[in-house]
Amino acid sequence: MTITFTPLHPGFVAEAQGADLSKPLTPDQVAAIERGMDEFAVLVWRNQPLTDEQQCDFSRNFGDLEQTLIAQLQPNERRLKLAELGDISNLDAKGDLRGRDDARRMYALGNRLWHADASFRATGAGYSLLSARIVPASGGNTEFADMRAAYETLDDATKADVEGLVTEHSIAFSRAALGFDDFGAENAEKIRPVRHSLVRTHPVTGRKSLYLSSHIGAIVGWPVPEGRAFIRDLTEHATQPRFTHAHVWRVDDLVMWDNRTTMHRATRFRDLNEVRDMRRTSIKGTGLTAEQLPVAAE
Amino acid sequence: MTIAIKDLTPGFVGEVSGVDITKPLTAEQVATLEAGMDRYAVLVYHGQPFTDDEQKRFSRYFGDLEMSAGGNVTKAQDRRLAADMADVSNLGADQKPLARDDRRRLFNLGNQLWHSDSSFRAIPAKYSLLSGRIVVEKGGNTEFADMRAAYDALDAKTKTEIEDLVCEHSLIYSRGTLGFTDLSDEERKMFTPVRQRLVRTHPVTGRKSLYLSSHIGTIIGWPMPEARSFIRDLAEHATQPQFCYAHKWAQFDLVMWDNRTTMHRVRRFDETRVRDMRRTTVAGDSVTVAQMAA
Repeated sequence: MTITFTPLHPGFVAEAQGADLSKPLTPDQVAAIERGMDEFAVLVWRNQPLTDEQQCDFSRNFGDLEQTLIAQLQPNERRLKLAELGDISNLDAKGDLRGRDDARRMYALGNRLWHADASFRATGAGYSLLSARIVPASGGNTEFADMRAAYETLDDATKADVEGLVTEHSIAFSRAALGFDDFGAENAEKIRPVRHSLVRTHPVTGRKSLYLSSHIGAIVGWPVPEGRAFIRDLTEHATQPRFTHAHVWRVDDLVMWDNRTTMHRATRFRDLNEVRDMRRTSIKGTGLTAEQLPVAAE
Repeated sequence: MTIAIKDLTPGFVGEVSGVDITKPLTAEQVATLEAGMDRYAVLVYHGQPFTDDEQKRFSRYFGDLEMSAGGNVTKAQDRRLAADMADVSNLGADQKPLARDDRRRLFNLGNQLWHSDSSFRAIPAKYSLLSGRIVVEKGGNTEFADMRAAYDALDAKTKTEIEDLVCEHSLIYSRGTLGFTDLSDEERKMFTPVRQRLVRTHPVTGRKSLYLSSHIGTIIGWPMPEARSFIRDLAEHATQPQFCYAHKWAQFDLVMWDNRTTMHRVRRFDETRVRDMRRTTVAGDSVTVAQMAA
């Protein structure tokens, strides 16, 4: 079987066909998928029922897996066995719907802000792979924005403005935007801001893209409010309908995207009444986009 | 001279001709303009080089003036303009642009967020009237969003869901969004949150509108993160291009808008340039919902 890509949003999102992701892949197949990821940035696979182990095995074709931050923050409240599997559901450890005031629900609402996965880590994330096990009747879409197209359509003055800028990212910034700040003193280390270049260059294609994320709280060297207002303007530009694609989930969809060149967000659904069980793997990023601050206190 | 109003954006923004704001108006002229404000929500006047006093006299035809105290962090002795004029410039009392890290400038950057003037006051504003005395060539547009059209375009389910919701508004919230949190105890007290209905009905036209503003920090009875993400969704819906108008300023333009039915924001510009805008605000006459006892 040959792997084929049918564009859903030209140059950005394609439906991939021609491989059974539950089985081991050949190096040629892996290379073909990577080429598809470089040409587009989001690939949609339909009808790919996966166990958690199979999802991890497929994902490892593209690099080392990251442990999710929430697994590190709250190791004792896990529903899923594997620490590499991000629990993107509205279920608690027992498998029941989370209540309206549940702190994990508050934390998860941050996924409704445009972000790149793990941009709060110094290396960011490479790909993320999200598998739909149970989907709600309506809502709960995942929307993607193409940060290469967003960069390329900036005017020359703005391109000059953003070149060389470095931003600070922390999970605490995105959660504070929604009024959530309950991380616990023991997690201060994990929410310390990291630095990223605002403009990054894809290692294979050489294309530049805007590295935006709701985890951004400041531009280094700028007054905080001025930095945030500018980042909001850039985000508004980057998430115009012409740069975005909404994925409407079906059970057993697997969507994979490149966090280096895209942002994404979830949309609202009746999460107090309907189950949405999605499982995510993320590939560790390699290399820094900007020099980090030495940790003064250590 | 007869007043004429031409469509800039049908049903939302009108361009007024046939009036000289440096002169007193007749009752009939005032009625024509009020009717225009009800039919549109934003009126644009060109070539109106009036004084502050003339701007105030014109504004008073539509109601009492709101005092600017309670709406900023500029101390009384540092003011450039009278207390019943809002200084929407980037200037200090010395007429020079404020320094990049000046606290007043950083506070005023909040005007780049979509908002409705004085939604943080228990009795929020009726009209705002903004006069461009010195304008910048690039950037600095003021954009307006039509909250009646935004409401009308909601699906029936969402309309039902929001009908009786009440929001908390405060300058603490809008400034917090941009990371401006260094407020004195006195300022925090001055910016104590107030309550506003999320859906308002215009007293003259009877049209409903979404009463949104970046000053919103929560919805009463909702967990804060859920409230904020819902308000963000509504604001994103309400500020889609089909509901918006961008005003590019020429010197001596006057733009007046109804804060009960619109949001607005200023866009980024080179703040080393002088941008001298002066606003009068016509006070509203009632609360939108009962307030908490102090």
